[in-house]
Formats: sequence, structure tokens, C-alpha cells
Amino acid sequence: MVDLMLLAPEIIVALTGLIVLMIGIFMGSSSKNVLGYIATAGCLAALAMVIGNFSASALMFSDTLSVDPLSQFFKLVFLVVALIVSIASIKYTEDNKDTEIFYALVLFATFGMMFVASANDLMVLFVAFELASIATYALAGFEKKNPRSVEAAMKYLLMGALSAALLLMGISFVYGATGTTSIPGIAQNMDVLASNAIGLLAIVLLIAGFGFKIALVPFHMWAPDTYQGSPSVVSALLAAGSKKMAFVAAFKVFIVALLAMQADWRMAFAILAVITMTYGNVVALSQKSVKRMLAYSSIAQAGYISMAFVVLTPMALTGGILYTLAHGFMKAGAFIATAVVVYMVIKEKRDTEIPDHIDNFKGLGKKMPITALCLTVFVFALAGIPPTAGYMSKFILFSSTIQSGMVWLAVIAILNSALSLYYYARLVRYMYAMPHEGEKVSEPVPYVAALLISLVGVMAIGLWPEPFVEIAMQAASVLVGGI
Amino acid sequence: MAYENLAFLIPLLPALAFVITFFVGKKTPYGGGLIPIFAIAASFLISLLITIGLLQNPDQVISQSYHWFAIFNLGILIDPLAAVMLTMVTFVSLLIHIYSVGYMSHDPAKPRYFAETSLFTASMLSLILSDNILQLFISWELVGLCSYLLIGFWYQKPSAASAAKKAFLTTRIGDVMFLAGIIVLFADLFKLVNGIIPEGVYLLRFDEIFSFIPEIAAMNATILGFEVSHLTIITLLFFGGAVGKSGQFPLHVWLPDAMEGPTTVSALIHAATMVTAGVYLVARTFPMFIAAPQSLIIVAYVGAFTALFAATMGIVMNDLKRVLAYSTISQLGYMMLGLGMGAVIGAEAVGVSIFHLVSHAFFKALLFLCAGSVIHAVGTHDMRELGGVAKVMPITAATMVAASLALAGFGIPGTSIGSTGFFSKDPIIENAYLFGEHAGNWFPYIFAIVAALLTSLYIFRLLFMTFAGKPRTNYGGHESPASMTVPLSILGILALVFGAIVVEPFNKFVNSTFVNNFVNMDIPALAEVGNYELVHHAGQEPLLILWMPVIVAVIGLLIAFVIYYQKAIDMSRFVSKDNSVYKLLYNRYYQNEIFTQLFAVKFVYEGLAMAGYHIDRFIDGIVNVISYLIIEAGDSFRKVQTGVIQHYSVAVITGVSLLVILIKLVMEVF
Repeated sequence: MVDLMLLAPEIIVALTGLIVLMIGIFMGSSSKNVLGYIATAGCLAALAMVIGNFSASALMFSDTLSVDPLSQFFKLVFLVVALIVSIASIKYTEDNKDTEIFYALVLFATFGMMFVASANDLMVLFVAFELASIATYALAGFEKKNPRSVEAAMKYLLMGALSAALLLMGISFVYGATGTTSIPGIAQNMDVLASNAIGLLAIVLLIAGFGFKIALVPFHMWAPDTYQGSPSVVSALLAAGSKKMAFVAAFKVFIVALLAMQADWRMAFAILAVITMTYGNVVALSQKSVKRMLAYSSIAQAGYISMAFVVLTPMALTGGILYTLAHGFMKAGAFIATAVVVYMVIKEKRDTEIPDHIDNFKGLGKKMPITALCLTVFVFALAGIPPTAGYMSKFILFSSTIQSGMVWLAVIAILNSALSLYYYARLVRYMYAMPHEGEKVSEPVPYVAALLISLVGVMAIGLWPEPFVEIAMQAASVLVGGI
Repeated sequence: MAYENLAFLIPLLPALAFVITFFVGKKTPYGGGLIPIFAIAASFLISLLITIGLLQNPDQVISQSYHWFAIFNLGILIDPLAAVMLTMVTFVSLLIHIYSVGYMSHDPAKPRYFAETSLFTASMLSLILSDNILQLFISWELVGLCSYLLIGFWYQKPSAASAAKKAFLTTRIGDVMFLAGIIVLFADLFKLVNGIIPEGVYLLRFDEIFSFIPEIAAMNATILGFEVSHLTIITLLFFGGAVGKSGQFPLHVWLPDAMEGPTTVSALIHAATMVTAGVYLVARTFPMFIAAPQSLIIVAYVGAFTALFAATMGIVMNDLKRVLAYSTISQLGYMMLGLGMGAVIGAEAVGVSIFHLVSHAFFKALLFLCAGSVIHAVGTHDMRELGGVAKVMPITAATMVAASLALAGFGIPGTSIGSTGFFSKDPIIENAYLFGEHAGNWFPYIFAIVAALLTSLYIFRLLFMTFAGKPRTNYGGHESPASMTVPLSILGILALVFGAIVVEPFNKFVNSTFVNNFVNMDIPALAEVGNYELVHHAGQEPLLILWMPVIVAVIGLLIAFVIYYQKAIDMSRFVSKDNSVYKLLYNRYYQNEIFTQLFAVKFVYEGLAMAGYHIDRFIDGIVNVISYLIIEAGDSFRKVQTGVIQHYSVAVITGVSLLVILIKLVMEVF
């Protein structure tokens, strides 16, 4: 007997998407603002269902779906991000005639991500992965008239297609050697794959496939172009949501299914994590576009989270999983803050060639005090300064790294964090120490609401980490069964 | 009882008032003054209700704790000690806030002023009701930050900015010691529970700390060849923090300079918040001090010396506010001395000392507000330019007389007639006598009694020079508005009658601090841990000893009357550059000069500065080269990002191939 209540969050999100799409078609563009509120309500309802059933555990549909604390945790991450994006987009899609398409795509993407989180079979995982991807391809190009947005979407799509091919190829190798696509089934039939040279290739292909979404160097190259060119709210969804989808997929595939080959993939992740965090931080130093800087920072953060694969202790996984939630709040908030600046640039009719140029952040502390304050907290959180979510998750992850004896990795990560402070602090200096131009701009309410939700999340995890660590631990315990 | 559950609101309301006033203060009435006043008034009411509830049931203290970062906790502890402090701080702070509405009415930065004072109050309240040492430390630091902001409130004035910096840095020396004490304490406790903290135990909560006192006292460390108990080290480090915060010698140097802020801020710092924090810290951890007699003696010596030392400087200052500043330092010395006398009378010392703290809060706030009233009206605080102010400002003058009588400690021993200061200061001096008799060590007593003489002398000198006689310069002036005189009158009445009414119940109440449902300390047993015995307060001192403090106060008054009112002795003969004693006092024992000008100090200082400069340049060079390389690397890496999608695909495929080869290679090698 399938308890459909456990799937209620997915059902609510999908239905909301359909409702928004249907009623949007029959609405005049002036009254479409209501769609944003519907989407927000849908996300809230789904979020409530997830939190209500947090400790549930069940297998469904011939064991192809597994609802467990891990899936619930990541659904929480995706829904929180979707909620923040939906609220912020109420302003972004104002007076846009395609509002219903935007919200439907956001919700479908979220739906796909949620299914990845509970997938227990590689085929379900792949299909859900693609569902989320395709929706985000379209979202990246949502500003049809804006060449940068179209270019961003095009690059994202082409690279995505390549990566999907690699991923599928990896999956087919795994299937070929184990004879099953079920994740627990693969774990039981690993002997052939582990002893065959094809196993290594399969692992690298899977890493490449997931690494594309995670934005691991060298599979990251689409990310800066796409994050910069897409609308900021979509960048928030990509960096804060879709990246985490690849993480949960990788957690399941590597730590549950392919645990027998951990020597190989831990090595691969070790190499990639170090390269990724260092490259991301170093290149972020000289960026002039804030969104591009955030994109590189997001690459660097992916490097930190990947350390969880290398260390592979329950504590490290807890840290990595908590980091995904923390990063969701920090990055979504930071991108929404750039959205507010872009809004200001358009409103003041400044040069819109690079609307998120760092010069446009000058004196933001006076012009838009709430946005500036929130952005300051977010970038300091990204740098890992207490008492924020970024500090808490870095602390757990790095200290577990030291505990397991990989001091070298922790040292590299800590040096990287120190390096990153340079470009984050520079942004803060621009906002507070530089003179501003023009009048004070009133900040739109939806943006402010989205920023404040992120701010509360960032500070709550930093100041009162117990409950969050507790649920991250529960989520990690699903993975550590085999370790 | 429902109001117990409101305890968390006591610090939270002023904190909220800070947030509101900070952001939208300009739009609220009285330049942001109204919201803090209401918030603090509410805090005061809650504190008062809790105190009244506690008075009926002194052994049922309020204690609420929540987990915070696994081994720490956030919590509230309101025992008699905390309750009286809360009531006193909220009450004095409330009066000062009401007074500030009038006093700051001409200042354009009012919202910032009220925001910072309410944060100041909030931090102090949270310090008082912390139930663990870590939370207390965090609030302690917040108090330090607020004092920095407020002393430097008129940051445009270079003297204010540098006074703020001085206060911040000087107290920081104490803070570092305090933190070190917490670290040693935590390390010891962690060792004592063998690194496993049982479920539901908050290691740094006071009851846990106290329950480990004998074990910590048994741990010894060897420092410079001396066997020192860890408990002594910890308590001395805590006392180091208190020395900084409460302006004890030698870290008192910041307090007189702290006068650069608005006078109301001085009143807040000197009476209600900040300086009392150090005394409170020692009182709060008093069981630890009882078990560490060496620390207790040091507390007593430092306190007695500070009381005398500061009083000697008080008699030569010409600035109204500076006299009061030295007076505060001196009175804080008395409080510390009072605590140190725990070595003879045990936990009763806390009651005596805290009573002096509370009564001092009343009359010192009053003295400052009177001074503020005078400064507000006539625009100068140099006493040589004043005189005869009583005619212009009768209410201010009358309240000032009340405050002075309280400070000097006038009263009749053996009866219940006397000013507040009489009932609070005399027991400290009597305890010092007991200590002398018991330990054969008369220094604390002699210091305390001489300081009492000087106290009376400097405060009546101030009174006569400022309020009596004829104006020495042509100042205008008028009586202050009601928002200023009403708080003055309330405090004035309190300064006169508060002591007589409450001294008995107060001491009884506060003495139950360490015996209740939260902690149950056996004080004589703790003294045994420290290898000494307590004397039970006999109260049978010779009559002369009981009268002694009053006699010296009268002598002080007479001297001041003769010299500064009747001008029977021409002071100008002494007040000159040729008189070395005067010069020594007036230049404050050359403390500043000693620190900056002395040859050896200068040599070391400049040598260090020179060495530091070169080391800095060397390290700078390394850092610059590294940062240059990294930024260059970033720039060149950036060019890899061509924007051409074909290149991206090549990167992906190359990445896959390289990764396969690399892993294969590494696997083969290892």
C-alpha cells in the first residue's frame, strides 16, 4: 500500500505548477501578479508537509522511490529555495505577459529536484534530473529579447546535453556490469564492476555528469556565463537549488550504490575538490561582475562540499549536508540581492551592458540599506564568518576533516576560505565605504521579503545550530549505513 | 507565577528598543527617547515584581536554561543578588533616560544616543541575569563595546575619540584576563568530567562550576617556583577582568577620561552599568573566591589601595566631573574591599558590598545628574569659575547636599538615623577592623579610614567651591526643567532615607544568594578548602571604632569648611607649581608620564616599535608578493574562460580523460 501522503509535497508542487499555467493563460497580464502568490502558497504548503513527515521512511512504486530523512532534507532545501525565488519573482515578473510560464517552470524544476532526492533507481533519477534540467534551460533564457540571457541558456543547454550523454553512458556501464538500475541492487552486485577496468570509466563519467550541475572544475565552464546571463532569480534557483540536486544524486549513487569502489571515487573527488575550490576562489578575485563573482564563489563552495565525499565519515557527511542547506540560504539571498541592484540600475536608466557591475554597488549601504545589510551578511556567511550558517557548516566539515587525519585537505580549505574573504570584503567595502550616486531607492517589498527569509535562515543556523545539525545528522545516517 | 516567565523580556525589551530607535529613531517622539523609556520602564516593572516575589521566597530562585552549541547554554538565573542588581540597574537607567530627554534636547544625534544607551542597558541586564560564565562574558564584551560608543559619542572631538579608545583598550586588558580565566576553568572542568559531559549538564553554569570548587582547588600548577592552586589562578584572572571593568588600580586610568561623553553617559557608566559589572562578577563567583584565600586578600588589598589612592587625587581636581570620577574609583575600591573581607565574615561580605554598590548607584547617579544640571545651566565644569550656584539653582543644590552627605557617610551609629552611605560604607570599614583584629593585618583598615576622611574632604570642597559663596565669573544660568529636577529629587530622597529603611532586610535577602534551590553552598566548608576559618560577625566592636568613620567624615567637612568657605587658610600658597605634593597629586602621580615618558619604557617602547616596523615591512612584502601572484593567476585563468562553447566541451572531454588516467596512475603507484 502506497502512502500517498508521503508524496504530498511533490503532488502539491506539480499541481500548483499546472494550476498556475492553466489559469495564467486566461488572465490579462495586469492581473498575473496573483500567480506569484499562488506559487508561494504552494511552496509553503509543500514545505509544511515535508517538515510534518520529516522522519518518515518508506519505499514506494516497486522500490523505485525511497522517502527517508535524506530525501526529506533535500526536499526541504529545494522548497526553501523555490519559496525564496517565488517570492522574489513576484516583483521580477511584474507586468510580464509570460508570468505563468515562469512560475510553472520554476515549480516543475523544483518538482524534478524533489524526485531526484527520493529516487531509488538510476532511471528514475535520470528522468527526474532531466526534468529539472530542461525546465531550468528554459528559465535561463527567459528574457528572450536579452542576448545575454539567450546566450546563457544556449550554452547551458549544449553543455547540459553533453553532460547528460556522459551521465547516461556512465549509468549504462553500471547497468551493464551489475544488471540492475536499482541503487541498493547495484550495491549488492558490485563485484563485476569493481574488478573490471570499465568500473573506473563509469565512475569518472558519472562524476562528469553530476559535476556539470555541481560545477566542479573542469566541468564548470558553463556556470559563470549562465549565472551571469540568466535573470538573477533564475541564477538563485540554479546555484542554490539545482546544484544541490546533483549533490543528493551523487550522494546516493556514490555513497550508497558504488561504495565498493570508494577508493577510486574518493581519489577523484579529492583531486576535483582541491582544484575546484582553489580555481573558483582565485578566479573570483578579479571579477568585475558581481554575479560572475558569485558564480565563481559558488564553484568554490561546491569544492568545499565535495570534501564530504573525500572524508566520508558520518560527521563529514553531516557537515556536507548541512552545508547544502546553508549554501541554499546564502547563495539564494546573495543572488536576490543582485536582482535588487539590477532593478535599481534599470529604474535609474544606467548603462545596462553589465547591470551587476561592482561599480553599481557603490554606496549601496545608503541607497538601499536593507539589501546592503543582507548582502553583507550573506557574503560574510559565504566566507565562513561566525555566527552565520556558513561558519557552522564549515566548522563541522573542516573539523571532521581534521579528525579523520586529512589535515592537508583542511589546510587547503581553510587557506581558500581566507583567500575568499578578499573578494567578499571588497564587495562590502564598495557598499559601505564608497560614495553613492543618485537618490535613495525604495526597495520592492517582495525582494525584501525574500532577502529577510534568507537572512533569518542564515542567522538561525548560525546562532541555533542544534536542530539543523540534528536533521542533517538524520539525513546523513541514511547514507552511512554502508560505511 | 506568570511574571517569572517574563524574565527573558528584561534584557530583550531594551534590546528591541535599541533596534527600533537605531533604525527609525528620528520618526519617534522626543528624538527616539520615548521607546527606550517605555522599554526600560517595563523591564523595571518586571524586575520589581520578580524581586518582590523573591523577597517572599528567597530560596526559590528563577532558573531557566536552554542548550546552545551542544556544551554551552543560554539561561536566566535570578537569585537575590541578580534581583537587586536588576532592579537597581533598570531603575537608575530609567531615571537617567528620563533626565536625558531634557539634557540631550539640543543634540542632533539624539536617536543614536538613545539607541546606544538602551543597548548599553540591555547588555548590562543580560550580564546580570546570565546563569553561566560564557554568557556573562559575551554581555560583558557588549557592555565594553557600548561604553566605547558612548564615551566617544561626540566623536568629532579628538579628546572624546581618544578617551573612548583609551577606555576600550584599557578594559580590554582586563577582558583578556577574564577570558583566559574562563578558558582555564573550562579546561579544568573538562578534565574533571573526563571529557564526557553528561546529558543535561551545562558545564559553565554557575551551579556546576561551584560544585567542582574543591576539585579545582586541589589542582596545582607551579609558577615561578610557587605552588599555586588552579582555583587561585582562575579567580585572580577573573579579578583581573573586574579590575579593568571596575576601574581598580592600575587599570583605573580610563575612568576619569571617560568624562568626555555626555554627563548622562557618565552617570550611566559610573552608577548603573559598566563599572559595577566587575564588582558583580566577583560577587557572582564569590564561592570560588572564598575557597581561594590568596585571591581574596589580593581583592581586599587592591580595593583598599584604590579607595585611598583615588581619594587623594580627588581632592585636587578642579573639574567638577573629574572629582566625581575619582570618587567613583574610590568607592569601587570600597566595594572590592568589602568583598575581600569575605576572608573573615564569609558570604555576608557579598551583602555588605552589594548594598554599598546599590546605595552608591543612587547617590553617584545623583551627583552626576546634579553636576549635569549645573553644566547644562551654566556651560562650564571648572569649579574655579563657579561659586554661588545654590542661589540660581536651589533644587539642584539641595539634592547635591543630600548626595554629599550620603557619600561622606553621615549618621549616628547604633541608631537608624543616617544617610544611605553611612549604612553601606561603615559596615565595610568595620569589617576591615574585624579583619585587622583577626588577621593582625591593619593595612586595609587604615587605608579605608584615611580614604573616608579624604572622601568627606573632597566632596565638601566640591560643594563649597561650586554652590556656596559668590560667583567667581559671570555665568548666566537658570534652574533646570522638570524632566531633570524630578529625577534629581527622587534620587535625593533615596540618598537620604534608602539606607536606613532597607539595610537590614537587604543584607538578609542578598545573603541567601548562595543557599537556595539553585545552589546550596556551605561557606565555612569552602573556607576549609582554603585552609582558614571564618569569624562570625560579633557586632561588638569598641564604640570608638563604630564612631570612627563618622568622626573622620566630620573632620573632613570641617577642613573643607574652613579652607573653602571661610578661606581661613590661603590655599594659593599650596596650590602652586612649587609644592611638590600638590604637583604630584595634580598630575595624578605622573601615571601618564610614567607610561609614556620614562626612559626605560620609552627605550623599550621605541625599540619595539622600530623592530615591529621592520618585521611588518618584511611580512608585508611576503604578503604583497603572494597576493600579487594570486591575483595575476586569477587574471590569467580568467582568460581560459573564452566564452566559446567548443572550448568548454573540449575541457569537459579532456577533464574526463585526464581524470581516468590520473586515478589509474595514482592507484598503480600506491
